[in-house]
Amino acid sequence: MSAPLTHYLILSALLFCIGFAGAVGRRSAILVLIGIELMLNAANLNFIAFWRYGPHPEALTGVMFVLFSIAIAAAEAAVGLALVIATYRQRRTTRMDQLDTLKG
Amino acid sequence: MNDPLPWLILFLPLLAAVLIALFLQGKPRLSALVSVGAVVVSFILSLDLLAQFLGGAMLSAKFNWLRVGHLTIDFALRFDALSLLMVLIVTGVGAVIHIYSVGYMKGDPGYPRFFGCMSLFTFSMLGVVLSGNFFQMFIFWELVGVCSYLLIGFWHRRPAAADAAKKAFLTNRLGDFGFFTGIILVWSMAGTMDFIRVREEMMRNPELFDAAATGVGLLIFCGAVGKSAQFPLHVWLPDAMEGPTPVSALIHAATMVAAGVYMICRVFFIFNVPALQIIAWIGGLTALMAGLIAVQQDDIKRILAYSTLSQLGYMVMAVGLGEPPAAMFHLGTHAFFKALLFLAAGSVIHGMSHEQDIWKMGRLKERMPLTFWTFLAGALALCGLWPFSGFFSKDAILALACEKSPTLFAVGIFVAFLTTFYMFRLILVVFFNRSKSDAAGHAHESPLIMVVPLFVLAAASIFGGFFGIEQFLAPQFAPAPEAASFFIKAAGFGFAAFAAGAVTAFALYFKAQSDPLPAQMQWTCGLLRHKFYFDEIYAELIDLTQESLAKAANALDFVLKLVIRALHGTAELTGRALRLAQTGNLQTYTLLFAAGIAVVLYFMLLH
Amino acid sequence: MTLSLDWMIPLIPEEIVIIFALAALAVDFAIVRRMNPAVRWRVIGATACAGCVGAMIWIGRATNYGTSEMLALSPLTQFIKLALLGLALVVVVLSLDARFTRHTGEYYALLLLATAGLMLLISSENLLMIFIALEILSVPLYVLTAFDKTREASAEAALKYFLFGSVAAAFTLFGISLLYGMTGELGLGAIAAKLRTQPVEPVCYAALVMTLIGFAFKVAAAPFHFWAPDVYEGAPAPIACFVASASKVASFFVLAKIVIDGFGPIRGGAAWNDFRAGWMPVLAVLAVLSMAGGNIAALAQTSVKRLLAYSAIAHGGYALLAFFGNARQMLPALLFYVITYALTVLGALAVAGAVENSANGDRMAAWAGLGRRAPLLAVCMFIFMLSLAGIPPLAGFFGKFYLFTAAAAGQPHLGMLWLVIVAVGASAISLYYYLQVLKQIYAVPPPAGAMPLRASRAALFPIALLAALVIVFGCAPGWLLGRLSAVLNSSAF
Repeated sequence: MSAPLTHYLILSALLFCIGFAGAVGRRSAILVLIGIELMLNAANLNFIAFWRYGPHPEALTGVMFVLFSIAIAAAEAAVGLALVIATYRQRRTTRMDQLDTLKG
Repeated sequence: MNDPLPWLILFLPLLAAVLIALFLQGKPRLSALVSVGAVVVSFILSLDLLAQFLGGAMLSAKFNWLRVGHLTIDFALRFDALSLLMVLIVTGVGAVIHIYSVGYMKGDPGYPRFFGCMSLFTFSMLGVVLSGNFFQMFIFWELVGVCSYLLIGFWHRRPAAADAAKKAFLTNRLGDFGFFTGIILVWSMAGTMDFIRVREEMMRNPELFDAAATGVGLLIFCGAVGKSAQFPLHVWLPDAMEGPTPVSALIHAATMVAAGVYMICRVFFIFNVPALQIIAWIGGLTALMAGLIAVQQDDIKRILAYSTLSQLGYMVMAVGLGEPPAAMFHLGTHAFFKALLFLAAGSVIHGMSHEQDIWKMGRLKERMPLTFWTFLAGALALCGLWPFSGFFSKDAILALACEKSPTLFAVGIFVAFLTTFYMFRLILVVFFNRSKSDAAGHAHESPLIMVVPLFVLAAASIFGGFFGIEQFLAPQFAPAPEAASFFIKAAGFGFAAFAAGAVTAFALYFKAQSDPLPAQMQWTCGLLRHKFYFDEIYAELIDLTQESLAKAANALDFVLKLVIRALHGTAELTGRALRLAQTGNLQTYTLLFAAGIAVVLYFMLLH
Repeated sequence: MTLSLDWMIPLIPEEIVIIFALAALAVDFAIVRRMNPAVRWRVIGATACAGCVGAMIWIGRATNYGTSEMLALSPLTQFIKLALLGLALVVVVLSLDARFTRHTGEYYALLLLATAGLMLLISSENLLMIFIALEILSVPLYVLTAFDKTREASAEAALKYFLFGSVAAAFTLFGISLLYGMTGELGLGAIAAKLRTQPVEPVCYAALVMTLIGFAFKVAAAPFHFWAPDVYEGAPAPIACFVASASKVASFFVLAKIVIDGFGPIRGGAAWNDFRAGWMPVLAVLAVLSMAGGNIAALAQTSVKRLLAYSAIAHGGYALLAFFGNARQMLPALLFYVITYALTVLGALAVAGAVENSANGDRMAAWAGLGRRAPLLAVCMFIFMLSLAGIPPLAGFFGKFYLFTAAAAGQPHLGMLWLVIVAVGASAISLYYYLQVLKQIYAVPPPAGAMPLRASRAALFPIALLAALVIVFGCAPGWLLGRLSAVLNSSAF
């Protein structure tokens, strides 16, 4: 038997936290985007682990969810990069700390 | 719903307002005609209702406005002595003032708008008066406030008018905050908002509101404090004089400001003894404070405004002392003579080409005799001289105070003295003393359409005391004990106060060119002139609040920054994993907050 | 295995909307691309209108209700969808005179796709469906926010909206994964049933909190609101309208669905009840933060759209009060409030858009003298502002009244009275900044040489209609409230 469920959960939690740290700590919009992808993948890992160790591995619910979520993450990434490019064309920057004309 | 008469009285003015708003914007004469016609017809119809009522008919009209789940709200018109009296005042005095406005507002570019708003106001005011439940009353209550906002700010290009309108709306809103909370409480505890049914519930279960009884009463009273401009929310009424004078007469003297008094009479059953005591004292305090301030004002409309405050204080005091009929009696006579005084003042202002400073007027008795004599009638009624109407109503209140609370009686007598003093000061300076400005020399009597209403109101002010308003109302409330001795005692003191006030005013102001008081009593007069510095104190308070809010926000910012610095420091120690401080935007803070939740909860999971 | 298309029938309204979205693209690409812009906008706008109207007609006629593991079609969901389609229709019409982009077909297609996402969200009964619908809604909205290429603020707002929204979505997804792990289920009903019978483990807190963060983000409850002012200000006016109205109604509905299913006052184990009791203060704190934060921040705004954004946060706080009502009043109060609010704020933002078009900005100064430059718009704005401030007899007043009484009476011993008092007080304060706008409109003279503001009919008509609706729903709330109660009673909620 392989590693117990808890190990997977700790891994996914760590992944989520790393992704989150990237999302809030990185100044480049693209790196923030990568952080968010990590967070989504942490969730995917959870789904797979719970499905594999769950009471009904034959139901495939977890796998289904992961398939959808990967597709959605891809769509989000595409839109996100498009927005980064749109911003870059106007401002010549992708740094989050320089995008601050809207405030108050 | 079968009898259309009550609905006609209520909805005719609304119909007029809608017609004017939609079709008559460019047609001043027609809009005035429609507006005046609506209120006059309403008045005639309410006379008919009165006849039916006196004939013993039970009148009511209602339809179901809303029924959802257990929440049922009726739209009900309630006719009893109390509301009929108010309907007659609103439509009667209203009709006279509408007619007067036809002359006063002539040539104003906003003529149709003015009459549209006046009609809308009449509708809303009738709505307040006829309401059968708290909810309906609150709706019309706010609508009246909106109309007042529109009419005070009628000349909205004048910054003072726009500011005064805003101040009035906001101050009223503070009072309504209490009123609304009170209504929610009543509804949650009694399960109904209908006046009659709340009363029945309270009879059935005296412990209904339990410990909250005083609180509920005072919250409801908050509404009256705002609308009737009682201390400490009185500051808006004098500023409201920025509106056209007919508006001051109708809304800020005769009807809307009286709505607060009417409301506490209507829900009188809800107040317990401690609440009534507080109400009485707030009334007395307002009467005293406003009377004192009026002594040192120079603007003719502001003097009358403070006098209105003072008289409203009397009425609230009477309710607090447990005698709504006396309060309503004074409300009725006050509506006549105060509307008269305002309209006559308006006539003066009209004749003086919009000059309002009394020290720039003079000798107007010769130039405007009709205005003078009617003004005098109103003033004497206000001062409470026998046999003018004010005597009877004021005497009823003073006798009541004499019986219940000696301190408030003393306050009442002193206020009566002040009233006579400042009214005679006004009359002497405006009508008798030598004129000091060119405008006074060129003053002219107002056109007939403005003078006739003055005479109608003057007649009502003189004879209003004989109508038996109090006896008309008495059956609706618990019967009052006979206290003839108090009446005589109060009348004696009242007359003494009148005489003292008149003599003092003559001594100080006969042939005076300027006010001699400030020189003699510098400190006191300064205080009065600045209206006890209420406006300044409130402005300071608002500034202070804003400042402390800003400071609190800064402090929060500072703490957040500290937290982030701390996190940042830790992070650097562990290999610069987090670079939080640099981002410095709000999103980061939020995400941090969310991360905090997540981490804590994860910790819980692993245990 | 036989090929059957029966499964498509329940989703016909959504399908109509999606087909018309594609049709808008096709028409643009094949037929009207080279025509002059006015004709092009009108043709494609008409296509989009047809999509909304078609879906509305279908919903109005269809009566086959039913619930499966994935979807629920009840009178209630269909009614909400009708309301959402109506709001979307107004946004479509308002967009007709937009000139900020040349990509007309894409614009309307995305708008309709977002609408389809909204409708799917309403029907979803399963966390997977909810997540997918949420993304179908969000992704087009991110793009639409960036659609105004003429202003730098648009792209910046979109990027912020996107990044913030994606993080919230990631939290939601992670929460869903934990819920799945705890219960092995994804259906809302099945999860609720499992949770009630099992002992409550701490990880359930984590799962539920994280799942709800996504919706707290969507309804812009403090402290998850930071995106809202930027998006309201930066996005093209019609899109700001859409985010503020339709998206908010749907999000509140789903939030209510999860909270009622999960925390609703249905019998449960002792541990569950403790949990529920612990949950109430969290909602109360969120509500207070939103009301206080939104109102205080709004006091200091100089841009009317930002002011409306902060006031929207405050209104989100009021709406949260509904969750303290008892089971029967909670949903009608919430939905009535949110729907009438959506109508009002939609109108107000539309007026702001019209002003912005003419004055190149919506700073307070741009509003000066609007009363003389555009009397009809000014009167409508007057109505919207007073309704937002909760002045009777407008819809905003009755909504608040019903909501507050429901919250006050919903808890034993008037337990939440303090919260109601805070809410009444907050709404009293809010009048101050609404009057500030009205003062600009009526009292401040227009700048010298200002021209009368000519709004197109495509803007004027919906705005006037919304103002009329605000008055009607205020004077006669019985109809809408009665409908809501009726559809609720006939839905198995």
